[in-house]
Amino acid sequence: MEKLTKEKIKQGLEVLDAGMDGKLFTHLNSCVHCGLCAESCIYYLAFPEGKFIPATKVDLISSIYRRYITFTGKVVPGLVGARKLNDETIVEITDLFFGACTMCGRCVPHCSIGVDISYLVRKGRQMLAKMGYVPESLQSTINTALKTGNNMGITEQEFIETLKWLEDDLRFEVNDDTACIPLNEKGRNIIYTLNPREPKFFPLSISAMAKIFHVAGESWTLSTQMYDATNYAYYSGNHDEAGIITQYLFDEIQNLEAKTCVLAECGHGSRAFRWEGPNYLKKEYPFEVITSVEILANYIREGRIKVDPEKITECVTLHDPCNLARTGGIWKEQRYILRRSVKNFVEMAPNGIDNLCCGGGGGQLAMSEYNERRMKTGELKAEQIRKTGAKIVVTPCHNCVDQLTQLNITFKLGVQIKTIAEIVADSIVPQDQKVISKNESVEV
Amino acid sequence: MPTIEIDNRTLEVDGDGFLSNPDIWDKEVARLIAKYDGIENMNDKHWAVVNIIRRNFEEKGMAPMIRTICQETGLRLREIYELFPLGPARGACRIAGLPKPDGCV
Repeated sequence: MEKLTKEKIKQGLEVLDAGMDGKLFTHLNSCVHCGLCAESCIYYLAFPEGKFIPATKVDLISSIYRRYITFTGKVVPGLVGARKLNDETIVEITDLFFGACTMCGRCVPHCSIGVDISYLVRKGRQMLAKMGYVPESLQSTINTALKTGNNMGITEQEFIETLKWLEDDLRFEVNDDTACIPLNEKGRNIIYTLNPREPKFFPLSISAMAKIFHVAGESWTLSTQMYDATNYAYYSGNHDEAGIITQYLFDEIQNLEAKTCVLAECGHGSRAFRWEGPNYLKKEYPFEVITSVEILANYIREGRIKVDPEKITECVTLHDPCNLARTGGIWKEQRYILRRSVKNFVEMAPNGIDNLCCGGGGGQLAMSEYNERRMKTGELKAEQIRKTGAKIVVTPCHNCVDQLTQLNITFKLGVQIKTIAEIVADSIVPQDQKVISKNESVEV
Repeated sequence: MPTIEIDNRTLEVDGDGFLSNPDIWDKEVARLIAKYDGIENMNDKHWAVVNIIRRNFEEKGMAPMIRTICQETGLRLREIYELFPLGPARGACRIAGLPKPDGCV
């Protein structure tokens, strides 16, 4: 790790100089050390040590704030528990803020006075990013996205070849030679986005969504230039880089004159582009942005597609991605979809906005140095899944899918992990068929 | 540096179990990592996938697209997921001795 310099300290502290930022000032100064947050945190539940309590993280960043920004902290640091930024504190703060927090935010609703703890962890990461202490493994994914426009460095030619291959498959699947995956079409209702892991390694979810768009008769397109819904700079806390990545997608949506951007099933990507993006770019979007989950629920609600729950009879449970459910407030839509698309849906406990993080959020999947911790926090999720008795675990987030896949093997769960689009595509009724059930008349 | 031990041989790996030095890879190393993942016997299909990934890595410095793997081996997508339960990245690429790919894998 690079040595701390005066210049680095100065840059880092700019993030904490709350000045007129009332939110930062309030949250840095409000923790009453009640300890209620402890048992809401997957790290503390997996490793019951004081350093993993969310309040400890709050205390760490507040103590640095006090040391450099407040009068008493500057004059009598020992009296107010103010701490100096030195090489030792940097190691500690990097380990706790990058390596022991998924920014899942579960501690926030559990805080007795409402301190936005994950916001403070983000501020801490932002400070570390300013000082150049983002873990290399995480930075490498960001660099690839900045350089190539997608976080796996897929070339445009490779991407197009993959989509053509999937298009052949789609035509066979829906038995229609005119079915297609539209590329770079201007003026469509929807521009769809992807997580690059889909074209690279896991394209079943692209096929699923293409099939659904086809059956719904949607006017949509994919861009071959810029389709990446992820933004790992949201995780690193480097707002400048997060802004550049946001701008890439923003420009392409404008270029293709799409009315609505539909985000891939990606928790942090939804948060970064839809909810943080306008802040990164300091402007409102002139187009609509919604998540895949919302558009799928709308299709079913409006009757644009029909689903038949008899097609999926195994027991299905749902994992809520933190960024979508807890911070984005999107938790009803996935339930609306599943209750109509599968025969036997069971909830895990807790769920919805109180759900446990899978352990793979906050960039943890990219940072292999913290792998052991990630598997240990993930064990809580594995046990949640096991208790449901479900055979299929659905989650509208590719990052969660990857963590759950690893948990499935490590803890021998014997389940299948699927995205929501895959479930809908499996239960969808082809356009020319009608659903007939015992108690219902034929739906037209 | 983390290590994994299989059949009395110690391999240096990153926190995710990907080889720290891809150059030490050979068929024996592949067999060992596969065994570590619970794949006791690498069959012809396993080797076909691993060899294509390794060749692409040596020529282009990265893992191939899943399309290339499917088309060159003639295997169906779902077959590849069955052959490597951890998936093409954490399963097959790791056995082929590649560093961990960037992104959500």
